[in-house]
Amino acid sequence: MPSVIIEKDRCKGCELCINACPEHVLAMSEEINAKGYFFPMAAHPENCTGCRYCLLVCPDVAIQVENKGKVTKRPDALTEKGFSYCPGCTHGVIHRLVAEVLDELGVRERTVGIAPVGCSVLAYEFFACDMQEASHGRAMAVATGIKRGRPDLVVFTYQGDGDLASIGMAETIHSANRGEKITVIFVNNAIYGMTGGQMAPTTLPGQVASTCPTGRDVNLAGYPIRVVELLKELKTPAYLARVTVDDPKHVLAAKKAIRQAFKYQLEGTCFSLIEVLSTCPIGWGMQPHEACGWLEENMVPYYPLGEVKVPEPAVVKAGS
Amino acid sequence: MNNEIVMAGFGGQGVLLIGKLMAYAGMKAGHEVTWMPSYGPEMRGGTCNCTVVLSDQPIGSPISKRPHALIVLNLPSLDKFEDSVRPGGIIVVNTSLINRLPRRTDVTVVPVAANEIAVELGNAKAANMVALGAYLGASGLVDRDNVNEVLAEAFASRPKVVATNQQALQRGYEIGQAQCVAVAAR
Amino acid sequence: MAKKLMKGCEAIGEAAIHAGCRLFFGYPITPQNEIPEYMSARLPQVGGVFVQAESEVAASNMLYGASGAGCRVFTSSSSPGISLMMEGVSYMAGAELPVVIVNIMRGGPGLGGILPSQSDYFQATKGGGHGDYRLLVLAPSTVQEAADLVIDAFDLADTYRNPVMILGDGLIGQIMEPVEFKKEIKPEDLPEKPWATTGCAGRARNIINSLYLDPEELEAHNWAIYAKYQEMAKEVRHEAFNTEGGCDVLIVAYGTVARITKTAIEMAREKGLKIGLFRPITLYPYPTEALVKAAEGAKAVLVSELSTGQMVEDVRAAIAGRKEVAFHGRVGGMVMGPDDLVEQAEKLVAVPA
Repeated sequence: MPSVIIEKDRCKGCELCINACPEHVLAMSEEINAKGYFFPMAAHPENCTGCRYCLLVCPDVAIQVENKGKVTKRPDALTEKGFSYCPGCTHGVIHRLVAEVLDELGVRERTVGIAPVGCSVLAYEFFACDMQEASHGRAMAVATGIKRGRPDLVVFTYQGDGDLASIGMAETIHSANRGEKITVIFVNNAIYGMTGGQMAPTTLPGQVASTCPTGRDVNLAGYPIRVVELLKELKTPAYLARVTVDDPKHVLAAKKAIRQAFKYQLEGTCFSLIEVLSTCPIGWGMQPHEACGWLEENMVPYYPLGEVKVPEPAVVKAGS
Repeated sequence: MNNEIVMAGFGGQGVLLIGKLMAYAGMKAGHEVTWMPSYGPEMRGGTCNCTVVLSDQPIGSPISKRPHALIVLNLPSLDKFEDSVRPGGIIVVNTSLINRLPRRTDVTVVPVAANEIAVELGNAKAANMVALGAYLGASGLVDRDNVNEVLAEAFASRPKVVATNQQALQRGYEIGQAQCVAVAAR
Repeated sequence: MAKKLMKGCEAIGEAAIHAGCRLFFGYPITPQNEIPEYMSARLPQVGGVFVQAESEVAASNMLYGASGAGCRVFTSSSSPGISLMMEGVSYMAGAELPVVIVNIMRGGPGLGGILPSQSDYFQATKGGGHGDYRLLVLAPSTVQEAADLVIDAFDLADTYRNPVMILGDGLIGQIMEPVEFKKEIKPEDLPEKPWATTGCAGRARNIINSLYLDPEELEAHNWAIYAKYQEMAKEVRHEAFNTEGGCDVLIVAYGTVARITKTAIEMAREKGLKIGLFRPITLYPYPTEALVKAAEGAKAVLVSELSTGQMVEDVRAAIAGRKEVAFHGRVGGMVMGPDDLVEQAEKLVAVPA
């Protein structure tokens, strides 16, 4: 019989797993863990089908699933260190997906990741590969330096919306335009999380942030920037996709896109960027499951999901 | 031996090139050399000059306020640099484009119709070489053969250009040498 | 190898290749465009890579990445561009990354002009970007010396794991002189950098970082890099010229002004005035002890710079009131002639009427 294994001391009590479980296997315990959070337990273990939805949405890699004698495990490409993200923040899910892809492609030991400035500034503590910490906005410039100097390495950046689409927009456009053979994981949560909830270049019209207390006024701040659509217009071949991680199915689709992005890098095909719509429950002032709902209702209509650009198989002729 | 030579003209007249050739030839002859261009926003069509220093000692300042010689291919350059030349120095004047001779009486003046001669030789662009030749003839500073050799290297891929430039250099050389002899005889 | 007649900028580029550097990231700016132009043609011939970055900000961060991945890498720019690079420079100093940065100075502040200047001395020698750090700064005065110092700069950068700056001016960049490349280092012969992010196969993972949120750790890190700067003191280099047996006036000058001083020395000799030259080659660390010694035998000390007076502060600190230190500067792209220096020197030793 399948079963859920909960590493309770990794849990931050966000309850996303409880919401995700279609069979109502999980319920919050009445105990608290070492961090002081209530954590889930299998209240109805007999109902578990081994679907792994709980694992897929857990932002702290606190859940593993046993099914038919096989147990899922923490990816090798993650260190043992617990994430420093707020409870229910989906950064952790995205970290896990990137790590799983590095493991599955067998490239962890020749990968260099680049951490940005923003909530994921400490990403170098979480990925179990060589890492560089970039200055704000410059992750893709740093990646360019590494990849051009050492094309044999697998290079990825992990950047938020302020880093990638505001201060680092020039680096973003030009790295994409040069067709740097790097993989960019762009986490768009429509707000500046680390500095305390200020307006991002991707904050939605009317969305309240600490520097637009009455909501984003598009007459003053312009419309939120759709990064992948913007980059799509460049003639240089690229793989551009937008995904989200607000529910288990979207998490699976996100992983597929991330995997494809790294494969294009390994084949030397093109620049790849995956925009991941992510939640910021604290910055948005919502419970984690509400944040997922808000993302679905508000962000997805403005930021449509799917592959936005795939590299053309045809060779572009010089001068065309 | 320490010689500071200023070459000046319109951008595109090839003053930087003749400066480089002189410096290169000087280096081949075993001298210490520097070549320093004026550089500015006027890449083409503006005024342009360079300073070459040839010396037996390591060269200090590569720029000169009091050059030993001046090669001018246009009037604004003569106006600008005439007074700077040291007494006893040489001024090569391109009379094709300059409608006056230097007012200075304490220098050797070498007038040369560089553009006309170049056109006669079938390479209108070689006026700078005529002027360079005139200076070399008048000064005897750098061996003409050294310059010819350097010319051949610089235009190795265009033998026809080498030939007309060498002829231009030769014609200028003869004029310079004759002028020098005339001055000596005076 | 035979001598070649090369522009300072081109010689700098060729020297980097001779130092085993195969990577250049930069952005065009006058008067050093010949460096990126040269590298864009030469690097592909030797299996290297040239990238014209979108900005100097990006270029300096490309350097950060490449150096962090263990590669020899360099860039060049001129004053306004160097200001933009200061972000990356501070991070590289913080993350202890070896790179070589060439600044062919032009007149400022702001957009300024494009003619020679030495007005970035403070920026180069006192840090330049944010935080407590120093660059090792080398100031060539001839094309040959520029080439030699560039090659040394890569080794010094690796030794101290710190950015090294070659501080030249528009004149040293534009001048042509004979140059000879005395050594050639093959990239494959360079020692491994065990700290670099080259993939963690068979070892613990490496992290290139300048973030220390714990103040105790950050303080320790600051003192550790400070100790490194103290250690750099042994790299001081200078040239003392015509100072044996003392002199009437000791001119302290670097780069272009130093070579103009050499011509002034000859002119003054004819007038019976003995000018000595003290030329710092390392501007950081500053050759303080040697300067004090050279100044002992001088009746007067004159500092001359293409600035309104920057290095003069270091000279005054070194002389520490033992002698009056006079200053003569030209700025904005104007360059003093040797006769100006002789005149200034004469004034200093003139007996008051």
